[in-house]
Amino acid sequence: MSSAFVQVAVGAEQYAVAVEDVLEVAELGELTAVPGAPEALLGLINRDGQVLAVVDLATAIGTTSAGGPSFLVVIDDGRRRAGLAVDQLIDVRAPFALTEATSSDMVSGAAVVDGSLIGVLEIRSVLDRVSYSDGVQHDD
Amino acid sequence: MTIDQALLQTFREETRERLDRMVDTLLAIEAQGAGPDLIATLFRDAHSIKGNCGMLGFGEPAQIAHAMEDVIQAAEATGSMAGGLIDPMLAATDAIGALVTGATGLAAGVVAALQAQLGDGIGSLSDAAADGAAANDDHAECDQLAENGKSTAAVAAEGATVVRGDGRESSEPAAPAPRSIRVDAGRVDQLLDVVGETVLHQRRLEHLVNQGAMDGTGVEAELGHGQLLIDELQSSVTHMRALPLSSITGNYPRAVRDMAASAGKQVQLRLIGTDTQLDRLILDGISETIVHLVRNCVSHGIEAPAQRVAAGKPELGQLEVRADARAEWVAVTVRDDGQGVSPALMARATETGSLVEVLAQAGTSTAAEVTELSGRGIGLGAVKRHVESLGGTVEVKSVSGHGTAVTLLLPLTSSMVRLLLIESAGQVFGVPLANSIEVVSIAVTLSLAGRESIDVRGEAVPLLNVSEALCGRACEAGRKAVIVARSDRRIALTCDAILDEQEVVVKSLGPLLIGLPGYLGAAILADARIALILDPAFLVHTRARAVRTIAPAQPVRRKSKVMVVDDQLTVRELERSILESAGYGVITAEDGRAAMDMLQRDGEIALVLTDIEMPRLTGLELLAEIRADPERSSLPVVIVTSRGDTEDRRLGAEGGADAYVVKSEFAQEGLLTIVRRLMDL
Repeated sequence: MSSAFVQVAVGAEQYAVAVEDVLEVAELGELTAVPGAPEALLGLINRDGQVLAVVDLATAIGTTSAGGPSFLVVIDDGRRRAGLAVDQLIDVRAPFALTEATSSDMVSGAAVVDGSLIGVLEIRSVLDRVSYSDGVQHDD
Repeated sequence: MTIDQALLQTFREETRERLDRMVDTLLAIEAQGAGPDLIATLFRDAHSIKGNCGMLGFGEPAQIAHAMEDVIQAAEATGSMAGGLIDPMLAATDAIGALVTGATGLAAGVVAALQAQLGDGIGSLSDAAADGAAANDDHAECDQLAENGKSTAAVAAEGATVVRGDGRESSEPAAPAPRSIRVDAGRVDQLLDVVGETVLHQRRLEHLVNQGAMDGTGVEAELGHGQLLIDELQSSVTHMRALPLSSITGNYPRAVRDMAASAGKQVQLRLIGTDTQLDRLILDGISETIVHLVRNCVSHGIEAPAQRVAAGKPELGQLEVRADARAEWVAVTVRDDGQGVSPALMARATETGSLVEVLAQAGTSTAAEVTELSGRGIGLGAVKRHVESLGGTVEVKSVSGHGTAVTLLLPLTSSMVRLLLIESAGQVFGVPLANSIEVVSIAVTLSLAGRESIDVRGEAVPLLNVSEALCGRACEAGRKAVIVARSDRRIALTCDAILDEQEVVVKSLGPLLIGLPGYLGAAILADARIALILDPAFLVHTRARAVRTIAPAQPVRRKSKVMVVDDQLTVRELERSILESAGYGVITAEDGRAAMDMLQRDGEIALVLTDIEMPRLTGLELLAEIRADPERSSLPVVIVTSRGDTEDRRLGAEGGADAYVVKSEFAQEGLLTIVRRLMDL
């Protein structure tokens, strides 16, 4: 992996998103909840006149946020644009080698860097996971 | 003065038209001299205004128009109008505009200014004249451009502001008035043709269905044809509400003149292609944006005369507002030949590839950059966001030292829908107005097999709550309901409050939520909040599958007490006797504080009728406390005003009052009608 990462924290865990997938980072503003949306979908924000769906990274990945997310990482996987809500923005980190395998398809690999275990997010899988799918049939 | 409102409206529109033409004529006289045609036009307008105002009992503007006639007659006699008269004459048009929309107390100063100037010939302005002109000009510069794109009512309100700014007697803000559009008869015929075709199509469908002759392909073909007709209808109507850009640029010449004068600049404005048509809604939306861009050009783009000469340019700066139709788009360009964007920023734009982005971001970053920009980027971020929210884009071109051009590419049409905005559990939702039949208050609920409904003129309409519909979670129903209808089915969608009607651009919920049932999309509201747009088809069908989590049916007790809050015993007792004779239970409180205490103790109070001026806690404060209390936020509150004071009314409406009633109307049906409506008896 050769690109730099945006390093974020959710709860006690740390994750990294490749900078080429990140459009911007910001403070998490006021959200509009969407009743009936998947649980990991935190809500919608108005970003420069466009509606952007915000994913709660903690819920998506299966961990617990410490006191709720306060920052936003806007990502784009080429097909889909969305916001990831995270607890903290830590840094932009130079590329590092992935030394640990993971069992989650949402994390492509991990490494211990400066004493922290950092998982590299596979954002396509994260977005797949939280997308609404009409798997539930609605009878009429 | 009792004048039919429609007549008053017509009178105001006509006066506005004539005043606008007078401003144009005065500017032409200033530029070209007082030719006989110009003088004749000016006199005709002044004379008509005087006549109309006199007829409708507007004494002050008639008085001003009369003084203007004197000035014009003098100009006619001498064949010229002194340069010093232009300003007081312009100020006089402003004053008339404000006076016919409700202001008072302006005539004396304006007339004095005109007479002083007329008497002095080309001499200096008298103090009175300076006061009148200066006070009006300050506001004219700030508000005038923006006013132009707004409805007559908005202009009226601004007019009133001008008066307050003068420190004179304030006036009654005019009620919002509908704006009329003139439509080409050919367009109406075209619309009628499509409607005719739609009717025929409907008949054919009926025929086919009755014959049972529709197979799958047949249905698809008919649906396709129906869609075509709907598209045509939509396009006809969209064309009908198109307006030329000139409907908002009409008084740019005057405003640019005033802005340039106060900034010590020399600016020539050229308006090109202003007959280009744009959707009314988009036009309303960009009116202030264009004003902002024009103001930027005058105050920051175009240099002071000395600076221009030093740069080898003519003293007179050029400012151009131009509209071009490009297929599905209209391009509106605001261009100046001023100092342009600084070389440093241009270099950065070359690096990043987008001058718009650089300017939009620079405007919000460091102070050093803002200075460096000389204001060119300030607000461009906001312009960009605003234009994008209307579905358009912004382009900027600049050559350092030679000027800047900002182009707004705007869609000719947009996917607009009118929404009724409701609030449920603290969140704003929109229901298409086309599917919203009526709004009712919920007093009595009917229950059958654990499902609640309400009686709407003899029909049991099922109650549905937003969260219940969308995620199967029942929660306490609000006090109001919107009857939503779709294909012969109706439901009563409960909510805590009915907020507003708004026309919005429908936006997708985005790739993650595509297919999520229940929503047509989202809308960004005027205050930048997001409203989810509910799908009426989903709502009317959802009742059948809603999870039954409603508590076992309980007998619903009707609250029926009215609380009367007033510090005057006689008023309290008058209200009590009227209400009690109509069969309502009444309790009284002598001020807002006492009322709050009683509300805490008595759960039977179904409506609050309150005075405004009271010791300890005023009516408006009481209203605010009730609205802030989660348990009582939807309790109907009626404000009692002494004489229909519009300011009280406005404050009451802003605070969430459900209605107001004027004391003098107590004896008539006024009070009972309102109470009956709100308590749904």
